[in-house]
Amino acid sequence: MNLFQPGHLIATICFNASLLGGITGVADEPFRPEIGEFPPLEESLSWRGELVFVDHANRRGSIRIQGEGTYFRNSPHPFAMLPCGIVRYHGAPAELRDIPLGTVLHARAYLPPDPQTSAVPVLPVDSRRKNSGYSGAGIYPAENHVLLLEDEPSSCVREGHVWKLQHLEIRDNAGSIVARREAKADSAERADAETMTFDAATRVWRGRECLGIADLVSDGIWPAAGKVVLNDQAVLLGVTWKPTASDVFTRFHVSDIWLDETAMQRAAERQSQSHRAFIRSRWMPAVIDAVEYGKFGRATVTATLFGGMDQSLYDDFRKDISAMMNGVENTLKHTGGSYGPAHMASRGTLVNVTKLPGEIPLGSSGIQIRFETDLIVEGIRPGRVVRVCPGNWPQVNLPREEYIGDGSDPKARFPGPAIFPKY
Amino acid sequence: MACWLIAVLTAVLVPTGVRAGDSGTESAQPSAGAGDVFRPQAGEFPPLDKAHAYRGELVFVDHANRRGSIRVEGTGVFRANDPHPFAMLPCGIVRYHGATAALRDIPLGTVMHVRGFLPPDPAISAVPVLPVDNKLRDANHNRGAGVFPAENHVLLLEDEISRCLREQKIWRLLELQISNRQGMIAARCESLQGNQAASAAETMTFDAATRIWRGREYLAVDDLIAEGSWPAEGKQNLAGQGVYLGITWKPTPGGIFTRFHISDIWLDEDAVGRTARIQKETHKAFIRSRWIPAWVDSVEYGQFGKAIVTATLFGGIDESLYADLKEGERAMMAPSENTLKHWAGGSAGTSQIASKGPILKVLKSGREPPLGSSGIQITFETDLVTEGIRPTRVVRIRPAAWPDLHVPREEYLQDSRAGHEDRFPTPAIFPTY
Repeated sequence: MNLFQPGHLIATICFNASLLGGITGVADEPFRPEIGEFPPLEESLSWRGELVFVDHANRRGSIRIQGEGTYFRNSPHPFAMLPCGIVRYHGAPAELRDIPLGTVLHARAYLPPDPQTSAVPVLPVDSRRKNSGYSGAGIYPAENHVLLLEDEPSSCVREGHVWKLQHLEIRDNAGSIVARREAKADSAERADAETMTFDAATRVWRGRECLGIADLVSDGIWPAAGKVVLNDQAVLLGVTWKPTASDVFTRFHVSDIWLDETAMQRAAERQSQSHRAFIRSRWMPAVIDAVEYGKFGRATVTATLFGGMDQSLYDDFRKDISAMMNGVENTLKHTGGSYGPAHMASRGTLVNVTKLPGEIPLGSSGIQIRFETDLIVEGIRPGRVVRVCPGNWPQVNLPREEYIGDGSDPKARFPGPAIFPKY
Repeated sequence: MACWLIAVLTAVLVPTGVRAGDSGTESAQPSAGAGDVFRPQAGEFPPLDKAHAYRGELVFVDHANRRGSIRVEGTGVFRANDPHPFAMLPCGIVRYHGATAALRDIPLGTVMHVRGFLPPDPAISAVPVLPVDNKLRDANHNRGAGVFPAENHVLLLEDEISRCLREQKIWRLLELQISNRQGMIAARCESLQGNQAASAAETMTFDAATRIWRGREYLAVDDLIAEGSWPAEGKQNLAGQGVYLGITWKPTPGGIFTRFHISDIWLDEDAVGRTARIQKETHKAFIRSRWIPAWVDSVEYGQFGKAIVTATLFGGIDESLYADLKEGERAMMAPSENTLKHWAGGSAGTSQIASKGPILKVLKSGREPPLGSSGIQITFETDLVTEGIRPTRVVRIRPAAWPDLHVPREEYLQDSRAGHEDRFPTPAIFPTY
């Protein structure tokens, strides 16, 4: 048999092509969240960095991501919250507007679900592997659509970690602390120690007190100058970044120290109260699972409430109470809104509220509602995001930048990445 | 003939000094006296009495370019007012919690008091340039007038407590109405000495997230109820209790045009002092890494790059930092822009291309300096003056003894890679509604 006979050659080529196609077919496609679904956490990319810019009305901002190289050179990296994305600050639900610039945040992020309507730049899928000169690799991940964004104490509380202080060096109310982030419960594992700076602006929280470094020194707890061993004292830390000397690639700064659980719980409660008031005025976001249309505008809508909110908000969703539902965009901005979100919302009754069985993915509350209305509006369609308001929540009007208006400007619905400077 | 030619060339090529205001400096805009329109001049601190005063809620911040947006309080429906872009003047001062701050330190939602001016140079304004009478125009849709002033270049931006401390005022709490850890407080802002007419009483909301500061304590409404200072439900006369307030805005029910919200209550001077100290230390650390801003008053050129530069330091910075600039000690001076961004060259940051040399003189004005100025003028000698160190231009200065810290990427312009839009950011970032 002569393989170079045309017929045999063609067959060989086709066979090889099918092998290649098969290899390509089974090669990993990059994971993208699906519209209307909660993405699995294990498919996310983790990174952390300093919050540098916030466009809170469009739920996006920029973070300087920690990589392998010199940190200060890393350009701020745009990110957008997924519609179901959760922000946590001080161990409680939050919004981007609640987080001070400079706060170091932990992110779990994905590729853009829909690159065409991405509110942040769309990068090559392997962007996280690209070396950026002095900055090293990993600082520009294409995974810039965030499911979970949390500050250091929130990350620790969620993972059952604390910071164990090893020793510190202090002079003139400033210095450095060496600490390890480890499991709260005794564990044989030892994490690597990290050195961070602190200064006279560092806040120390103890019970009901808000102290400064000067207070710890005057109370005799820390020395005025010198070194002291801290014997694995367990605390929670707020972490930020301040400029470092040129010979230090990356070193973070301690903005807050919570010395005890009471202090941390009080901070969490304040933040929780703030977010509760926010959600009551902006309404609870949800994703539409199904719509059953009736006649003359009637419909029964099934929706899953987004997760991460305070339980008392979910408790307000009860069977047979009145409710309103309004279409929103991926930025969670209300459509219409010139006369308040209630103006254009569908009104009706919650005919059922159920807790979904099984494990609840991050981003979901696990609570599904069935809502019956006599006038369904555009925007309430499967896979689309809505906001829902139980009848007992106060009726307020929203500030101008948080609603879309009549939607005649596509940029209001789908903000583009042009706002972000290029470096 | 040869001597004449040499004399002409010398006069043209080797000026012995250039001062602000000479021809060849940046073109002046219509100044005071040109009609009724006042614009700040480059290199001059604008008089506060020419400022337009307004207040509003901080809605957006682009801290790297020292600009943002404020929802300005007008005569109509507050929540309908579009966020109004503003830019800090180079000498503009931000104050938060009774101490100097940077825009990045201020939480979104904070109500700020503004003293603003027209753009000094509309051609390079980082925010939209509006008709000069815009503050008089009705914004329609029940928003009233005054919500989009053309005076969007800010000399002073301060939160409520900073304003009260500066003007020696205090809030007197009149009455409280509370239910389920939230409610309303009626209060009046008046002078500490009681020698001025008090303002009309204002009703503001509070809720369970409101922070209360007392001495070292960080309290909540729950704590005041638990200890019996406030009732759990109902009304209480607060008898003019003197406090300081932090004010923000939250959406209000009931069709109210404008009602603000209390974010913080400082119950005593100790609490106020402690809060101010934290902010002061935050800003001190900030300036040590970003250097002291100033503008150049004059440059006397020597030969082969030598120059003696006289500059006035901008105001509002902690005295201890000014004190670090001492006669006879070495310093560094680097060019900056109106955004106060650094110029960085190569891989070594601002220091690499900064002019270096000794401080020859430090002069403190005997009079109260204008707002924006420290009243401190330094004379600095360098063996290599750089472009950008020219009269009326903004520079950054630090004592050589300060640690050499690298500012982050968004806060510096990188040599020839920085385009004109990096030096002079345009208003394109601001959405239109």
